[in-house]
Amino acid sequence: MAATPAASANAAPTITLHHVNAMPAPTWHRLRVNETGVEFPADLRAEPDVQVEAPQELLGEPGAFETALKRLEAHLKSTGELAAASPAGAVADPLDQPALSAFQAASATVEASGSLERAFETGMGSEAFAYLREAAGEPVVIATAPGQQGARAAVRVRGVDGAASAAAVDVVAAEGSDVSVSIALDSPEPGAGAVGCSLRVFAGRDARVSITSTQTLDPAWIALDDTGMMLDERARADVRHTVLGAGQSYTGLAGDLRGEEAKVAVDTRYLGSGARELDFNYELRHHGAKTESAMNANGVLAGASSKTLRGTIDFVRGCKGASGQEVETVLIADERAANRTVPVILCGEDDVAGNHGATIGHVRPEQLLYLASRGLSPEAAEQLFLRATLEEAALSAPDDATRAGVARLGRALLEDFEEEIA
Amino acid sequence: MEKKRTQVDDIDRSLYDFADDEAGAERLDAGLTPGIVREISAKKDEPDWMLDFRLQALDTYLHMAAPDWGPALDGLDMDHIVTYVKPNTEQQSDWESLPDDVKNTFDRLGIPQAERAYLAGVGAQYDSELVYHNMQDTAAKQGIVYSGIEEALHDPQWEPLIRSKFMTLIPPTDHKFAALHGAVWSGGSFVYVPAGVKLDFPLQSYFRLNAKGAGQFEHTLIIVEDDADLHFIEGCSAPKYNVANLHAGAVELFVGKNARLRYSTIENWSKNMYNLNTKRARVDEGGAVEWVSGSFGSHVGYLYPMSILAGRKSTCTFTGITFAGAGQNLDTGCKVVLAAPDTSAAVETKSISKGGGISTFRSSVVATEAAHGSAASVSCQSLMLDNASRSDTIPAMDIRCKNVDIGHEATIGRISDDTVFYLMSRGVSEEEARTMVVNGFAEPVSKELPLEYAVEMNNLIKLEMEGAIG
Repeated sequence: MAATPAASANAAPTITLHHVNAMPAPTWHRLRVNETGVEFPADLRAEPDVQVEAPQELLGEPGAFETALKRLEAHLKSTGELAAASPAGAVADPLDQPALSAFQAASATVEASGSLERAFETGMGSEAFAYLREAAGEPVVIATAPGQQGARAAVRVRGVDGAASAAAVDVVAAEGSDVSVSIALDSPEPGAGAVGCSLRVFAGRDARVSITSTQTLDPAWIALDDTGMMLDERARADVRHTVLGAGQSYTGLAGDLRGEEAKVAVDTRYLGSGARELDFNYELRHHGAKTESAMNANGVLAGASSKTLRGTIDFVRGCKGASGQEVETVLIADERAANRTVPVILCGEDDVAGNHGATIGHVRPEQLLYLASRGLSPEAAEQLFLRATLEEAALSAPDDATRAGVARLGRALLEDFEEEIA
Repeated sequence: MEKKRTQVDDIDRSLYDFADDEAGAERLDAGLTPGIVREISAKKDEPDWMLDFRLQALDTYLHMAAPDWGPALDGLDMDHIVTYVKPNTEQQSDWESLPDDVKNTFDRLGIPQAERAYLAGVGAQYDSELVYHNMQDTAAKQGIVYSGIEEALHDPQWEPLIRSKFMTLIPPTDHKFAALHGAVWSGGSFVYVPAGVKLDFPLQSYFRLNAKGAGQFEHTLIIVEDDADLHFIEGCSAPKYNVANLHAGAVELFVGKNARLRYSTIENWSKNMYNLNTKRARVDEGGAVEWVSGSFGSHVGYLYPMSILAGRKSTCTFTGITFAGAGQNLDTGCKVVLAAPDTSAAVETKSISKGGGISTFRSSVVATEAAHGSAASVSCQSLMLDNASRSDTIPAMDIRCKNVDIGHEATIGRISDDTVFYLMSRGVSEEEARTMVVNGFAEPVSKELPLEYAVEMNNLIKLEMEGAIG
């Protein structure tokens, strides 16, 4: 692990994870959106408090993810869809070739390597991945049988005071199977520390994977939610990230739509309140023809919260007929809140349809006037949006324990919240 | 069935791609040293403060890292770039007084004809120095000043004003090539439009870089006082060489209260050019800056005109098109800072990639804590003409104010086969059909230009489209 220790004369020593949530194609450094760093107390011990609810037959062997990746690589090479690594060709006059940026050159190198292991990545990046895997210990492997339907598993990670509590989860969905996995990052007991999950997903041909991740940590905690996905032909992944709490919350997801007609849909709901910092990085990379991706983020920023959301749709040359769309809607509900949004499209293929849109706004004066005419003050009107975000999270929670986490957080933010969802 | 694609032919760029003999020109040594900076300053007989400024900028340049997020700059070796080349003439105010080769160059580019037809004034730079500058009497009588910036720097009336503004919007510490510009800048224009004066016809500066392996570092400073109005046009071109050339100019625009400044650019550098240009405007209350930008040439381009909306109800518009063909990596876009209440910005850009070229739209919209009631919209459309090319869109929004409305949308795609088929069924050839579609795609930009420049832009598109049957 490449975390860097640091200490000053008066502060407790810390370690820092670098290059967290780095977007693949960076922009001006002064905007401070290219990546972030995560600083922890150096004495944070690894102590996972992880509960897994899953039928015994769903628990697979370690190494299942790597095996699935190798099988797919071998298959793609046998069909010619993945090129074997080739030596560099003759160097032409540099002035006759486009001067590739560092990102463009690195991307070309990875594509030319013909290695899925090299191409696979998670949204938070390699340092965070290594940290979480080390903190979590042996991964939980959830593996379906070919054609298996309705498989369900729940992973609950709870904060441990003074510790890094993390789960490592590998989901391997066999051909034609269907699996739903819910992940909850929660802090039912007081304390401070880090709570995280490192998730790798392999969705085989025609498989369907549904991931629901709900983060309801109190402000003293740091949340790390890192995901990497690889999808074979006609596989589909639906991801729901609900990010409601934590003093610092980091969420990353990278999806490789490798097989033809693979689909990924990511739906993100977030709530910023108090002095919370939320940081997201999504990368959906289209390799297969006719692949589809959709990213939809919707959030409210209240208090002095701040949020950075990077979303990248990458159309790699050869993904003919692919389409991707990204939409973000942000409501800034407080004067002190800050929002940063970077919706990126990278495109090396002409036969694609890509679009993104972002709307960052506030409650309009005419809307406030209307609500005032119904007896609602501007403050009360804006509280409605917080309430609505929490209520929606509670109502769509996958299980009672997750709903209880939302309710606990809601009570801390709003009066009478629990009664409303009862 | 997959459509067969023809190769993109070499483009006939003879209109722009001709070079003059450098006989009689004075070249300093290649490379960048304090000695060279002192020599440039001495040639211009500058005030001491400017020499000090240059040396400080050089120090900044030497200690600053090159940008690592954009197109590679490995092919740009400053040890092989000549930072100053003086043509074999002094500045003139009539074309006939210029040496034949210089005069013929601008004749072929149509500059004297344009001046006669519809411009209120023209400045023409050849390599490192202005060789022609003239303005109509009617504009002069309105109190407008349009001269070489070095000339104005030697005028006691204007020197204090220039000193108070020079590289304040683009400080040398801004980035490495702003620092380079500060160290070796040469030539460029100074425009002063007094309060309340509205100029009916545009002013134009044209920059021609003829010298092989040289850099051009002109500085344009425009001050439009309160309630005044100006349209300024900038054009540029160069012959293609087999070594890198460099353009690192700077444009600083100050727009007063309720004033308006339109700044139009048709950039057509040769495809061995590293175009690392910086443009920035500061707009006071009720003022407006309007950027119209066409980027066609260069091997590498970094170009992001920036608007700082510093006064209440100030506005900016940015309308741009970038056309990246074979061998080009053009990283273009804009930056907007909403720094006062009730400001507004509208950005509309188009990018086209063809023949293996790379086009990147990069932007930032920053709304500061003071931007109450402000709004910005960014629209970016990219068109890919083949599957050998690349088009990236990297916008960023940083919003630190509650009561703002920021919208962004971007699309990427190609010319639909149905559209081409329809046009071909009406008797149009495939190449013409695609050119028509591209011209239509570029129409929001060309309609913002004076007719003659819109025609030039459409001709450039036609030139770029030759052989591009997709």
